[in-house]
Amino acid sequence: MSFKEFQNQSRLYVIGALESEELEEFEKARKKFGKKAEDYISECYGLHEAFALSLQPAKASTAIKDRLMAMVRARKET
Amino acid sequence: MGSNLISSTGGKGRKRVRVPKSRAERFSVAPPLETGAPTDLELMKAIQAEDPDALSQLYDRYNGILKALILRVIHNEAEADDLLQEIFMEIWNQAKNFSSQKGKPLGWMVTLARRRAIDGLRKKQAYARAEERLQNETEQQPEAWVHNATEEEIVLSDTRSLIRKVISGLPPAQQQAIDLAFFRGMSQREIAAKTNTPLGTVKTRLELGLKKIYDGLKELRGEL
Repeated sequence: MSFKEFQNQSRLYVIGALESEELEEFEKARKKFGKKAEDYISECYGLHEAFALSLQPAKASTAIKDRLMAMVRARKET
Repeated sequence: MGSNLISSTGGKGRKRVRVPKSRAERFSVAPPLETGAPTDLELMKAIQAEDPDALSQLYDRYNGILKALILRVIHNEAEADDLLQEIFMEIWNQAKNFSSQKGKPLGWMVTLARRRAIDGLRKKQAYARAEERLQNETEQQPEAWVHNATEEEIVLSDTRSLIRKVISGLPPAQQQAIDLAFFRGMSQREIAAKTNTPLGTVKTRLELGLKKIYDGLKELRGEL
């Protein structure tokens, strides 16, 4: 697999769209390209951020934050 | 490795935090923060040091984005609220596993939220119900709450409209394939079956669409 092909596969990989037979080849190439591959995969995860930011934010119930913070403070005290 | 100098003002005046510069950070399209607000990375470090106030600030900053993501996956308001709470609890519990070397806090949180939402969807076997709701919804997500936009929301809205512009530039079939893969957690084979499209065509749509978005976002980064 060339690095250009690896780049194509990386974008599929980060959204979980590689099929199992492709995943095996991808992991081999990932090892072969080493740090360059890891850097590129990290960069591709920026797609997650972008897809989330493309959505209209939704308002959560105000009770959610109160419950969350109560749980966190209780967890911290134990 | 180089570094960025990020200025931030805390309660005791201006401070400068040296943050390693990574490729992932350069690619990020996160909206800019208000002057003086702690960065996401500073909040994550405080959460790692078990500061609940930092989690509270991170929640205020991103609950809307993460809930929108969860809703897009599971299409149920009450379940989305419950899941949002669980996800922020997981952020608190798993903060020690976050590494700025691997990306930005928002990317990490979105990845975690997406995984939990898709797991939730599968566990509850809500596919059928979500299918029905999805078909009843328009392509555009409805306004979730009517409220006056703050300055931060306006900046975020600019970011969103630019990202949406990139995505909407794709042919509908490519948008659909990416939407099903990312927001529904579908494999290429599942997408092929659902859309009655040959597997090779689905793969090509995903590859072309993702490359266009990726390239578009890199250009967009310069505009934000």
